[in-house]
Amino acid sequence: MSATPALETAPAAAVPDVEKSLRHKVYERERLTAQTGHYWGVETLSCKQADPMKFERFYSRLQSACMAAREVARFVAASPGGREMGEAVWALATAEGDSIALSEGFVAHSAAFPVAIKFMVDRGYEENPGFHDGDVYVADDGYSCGAPHPGDTYTYVPVVHDGEVVAWACAINHIMEVGAPQAGSWAMFCVDTYMDGFVCPPTRTGENLRQYAWWDEMWKRRTRAGMMNILDDKMRLAGAAMIARSVHEVIDEFGVEYFKLASREVIEESRRVVIDNIRNWMIPGTYEQVGFRVAKFKGLQKIWERADADNLIHMHMSTTIDERGRICNDMEGSSRWGYHAFNAFPGGVKVAFMLGLSGALAYNTKFSSGGNYAVTGNLPVGSIYNPGTQIASHSNAWAQMLQVTTMAYNALTRGQFMRGYMEESYAVSAPWDSVQGDGVLADGTPYGYTNFELLGACAHGAFSYRDGQPAVWFIASQLCNMGNSEEFEYLIPPLFHLGRKLQPGYCGHGKYRGGIGLTTVHWIVESGQRFGASRAGSACSFMTEVGQGMMGGYPSPGAAVAVAQGTNLPALIEQGITPTTFQELVDLVADGKLKADRLEIWKSDAPDHTLKDNDLWSQIAGTGGGWGDPLERDPHAVAVDANTNRVPAGFSERIYGVVLTFTDGQYTVDETATRAKRAALLAQRREESCPTATWWQRTRERVLARDFIGPVQEMYRSSTSFDNYKRHYRGFWHLPEDFEL
Amino acid sequence: MTTIEKDLVRQLVNGTIDPQDARGLLRMETKDTERFWTYLEVLQERVPWADRILLRISEHLYIVAKPDHGRVVKCDCGHEFGDYRANWKTAARLRVKETAAEFADVYYPAAAAPEPLWNEIREFYCPGCYAQLAVEVVPPGYPLIFEILPDLDRFYRDFLGRPLDDEAPDWYRDDTLKKTGTWL
Repeated sequence: MSATPALETAPAAAVPDVEKSLRHKVYERERLTAQTGHYWGVETLSCKQADPMKFERFYSRLQSACMAAREVARFVAASPGGREMGEAVWALATAEGDSIALSEGFVAHSAAFPVAIKFMVDRGYEENPGFHDGDVYVADDGYSCGAPHPGDTYTYVPVVHDGEVVAWACAINHIMEVGAPQAGSWAMFCVDTYMDGFVCPPTRTGENLRQYAWWDEMWKRRTRAGMMNILDDKMRLAGAAMIARSVHEVIDEFGVEYFKLASREVIEESRRVVIDNIRNWMIPGTYEQVGFRVAKFKGLQKIWERADADNLIHMHMSTTIDERGRICNDMEGSSRWGYHAFNAFPGGVKVAFMLGLSGALAYNTKFSSGGNYAVTGNLPVGSIYNPGTQIASHSNAWAQMLQVTTMAYNALTRGQFMRGYMEESYAVSAPWDSVQGDGVLADGTPYGYTNFELLGACAHGAFSYRDGQPAVWFIASQLCNMGNSEEFEYLIPPLFHLGRKLQPGYCGHGKYRGGIGLTTVHWIVESGQRFGASRAGSACSFMTEVGQGMMGGYPSPGAAVAVAQGTNLPALIEQGITPTTFQELVDLVADGKLKADRLEIWKSDAPDHTLKDNDLWSQIAGTGGGWGDPLERDPHAVAVDANTNRVPAGFSERIYGVVLTFTDGQYTVDETATRAKRAALLAQRREESCPTATWWQRTRERVLARDFIGPVQEMYRSSTSFDNYKRHYRGFWHLPEDFEL
Repeated sequence: MTTIEKDLVRQLVNGTIDPQDARGLLRMETKDTERFWTYLEVLQERVPWADRILLRISEHLYIVAKPDHGRVVKCDCGHEFGDYRANWKTAARLRVKETAAEFADVYYPAAAAPEPLWNEIREFYCPGCYAQLAVEVVPPGYPLIFEILPDLDRFYRDFLGRPLDDEAPDWYRDDTLKKTGTWL
């Protein structure tokens, strides 16, 4: 057995005959899969049937190679996001870009691989410059490679055997800084893609498993965290090189024809399991889910007139199970694309569909691209999910697209609830946030950064039978991790943690409440020559995360930022007082103890702030939604929440109708008063509610009078510019034919 | 195929299941295919009425078969919302919260509450027992969200292999707009 040493030889793929060409494979895969419903038309798992042990051994070798790549490469070189957190994945894909095996991590990003491969085929890369064993390609552009946003950076290494591309070794991680006008890795104030930062379509950046010298210089010159980004680049390539080498060894052992056929069977086998799971866990029908995301930039984008506006982005998803048993997410009714950073391209949307579903639907099979073939969608041209133009900025598509992920996942958990698999059913949400920016150290060294701590560890929403738990999951990865506080402080010296804990009361409430969300308080110290910070997140608290709660519970709130500038913090520290949560900071200012020249609360996107020593930057994020009627919550659970300061006692009475008494340092339930309080709240519901028909008649008059604020009115105009949603909206309100929104 | 004890399903429904037992269910490599029928049995035993439950669609709501071959949404208190093909919310009672003060009753801290004018909070109640059945947080003027219109005939025939007696092509049809049309 001898591996093909890519470092010594680099045989060019000469496209010797049409059937071995990448173009043929990409389009034949599409044709046969569409025609038969089976991946590559594989109706019989012949390799598996002929010798199951050999088949499993084959897969195990490939999967082990991917796992080994991750475990080694992230310790070769990496930024903290790549090394400590789940913000990376390594994979082996077929020649067409479909994953055969993956490491732990960002697995849903495998949905983007085929987009990049097809783009290269369609643009003639196969002929110019041709694919050679050990070439290195990098891409981070949503339009051409399916990246959800430019912070997600992909490395592709073709595996060429006997002149034929037979596989790709792939890696992806979220880098710390992308070089946009707004520093960080999710620039929020982009107008079009020319402000997205360092964006590249699939680009050959090296050969013989080694990057060209100029490539490092690009990271240094075009981003603010050149060193970190080069480390990540080396991390991705090191793992991909390991996978490529393993593939050559496997081909030597099993033969290339077996490699190609068995790889397709791995994908087809997992596709079938996922289809079976959908059939066994869900109810066929139509699931409607909606979400909203504010893009509130009026007054903040004055030099870009077309972007200086407040917009409300509408996300509308109609989920069905199609005749082939696939989950189909129809996004018609969602807003049109716009001059903001929150647009997405179809490859990124597929990643969003799979972000939660990939783990939920495929946990009991080989993890491959098979699951990607069990989920499909309709993305109307011109919409925020398929702009139909390459100029759209997608710098933080996740700002709205994470709700696409949670909506798709909620359809599954709702189905599981109806089927009786209640243990799986919960209110899916994941409103993450981060702080990003740049600075210049006292010695003149410039740097850029992103702190991912409020991304990697979110609360679970409430389950159908218990409360959600805090800081237990990361929707994008199996590897939930906030990252090491000291490491972030080392890399971003002016951000010193005063608090990193749970924010009492911060969750969606219900019979079962969501897990309590996180809060951080950063004290700015030794800010150097300059230090800037802005926020970058998904849902912000202007709107809830997803527009509907689960079964009577309240949807998860979004994230918020507080910035206190010009404070007297050193004097407070001398008194032994420091704010450790978002609300403590707000309360200390309200009490007059913490004096600040300026306190800003940002429920929308906070722009870049130049911060000085003793300024404070605080956030809340990462909570979950509730489940069921709050008045049905076990009163003793309310008392436990009050005693553990998970939910303030005063708030408990309002929403849960539980009267607590405080004696001997403990809250206990006043059973009699609670019964009376709950009866009173039920009576209040009766008095303050009306039949839906009455509400409809009243609201229809508002619709006819266009009695809404501008961004809401504009949202309806945008969504009803798509025919099906126009029929839905006009039909629901029975608007006159000549009425124009 | 593993079978899950009925009492365990009952505990799951009641929210009294032991965390270790719940974890065991979560770790099943293949779910028990009989669960749906056990679930229906448990649910049927909990409600004070005799109509056959076809599907549980929410904490309190079920689609049930009526003796006259109708299929209606019914609350466990016994209140009926009418044919399931029209969004049951059209037959509910509704309270709309519009102000920051009202939002503060259900969201904490204040910075986490959604913004008035951009949002309203809609709470849907059962007209019989006033249980809170659903919450929407949407912009004013937004149509009611139809959370689930199930294709019951396909489910029972193709997914479960036990077709319903009253199969008909028009059971999978959204009649919500027809219902709102009667309010003009």
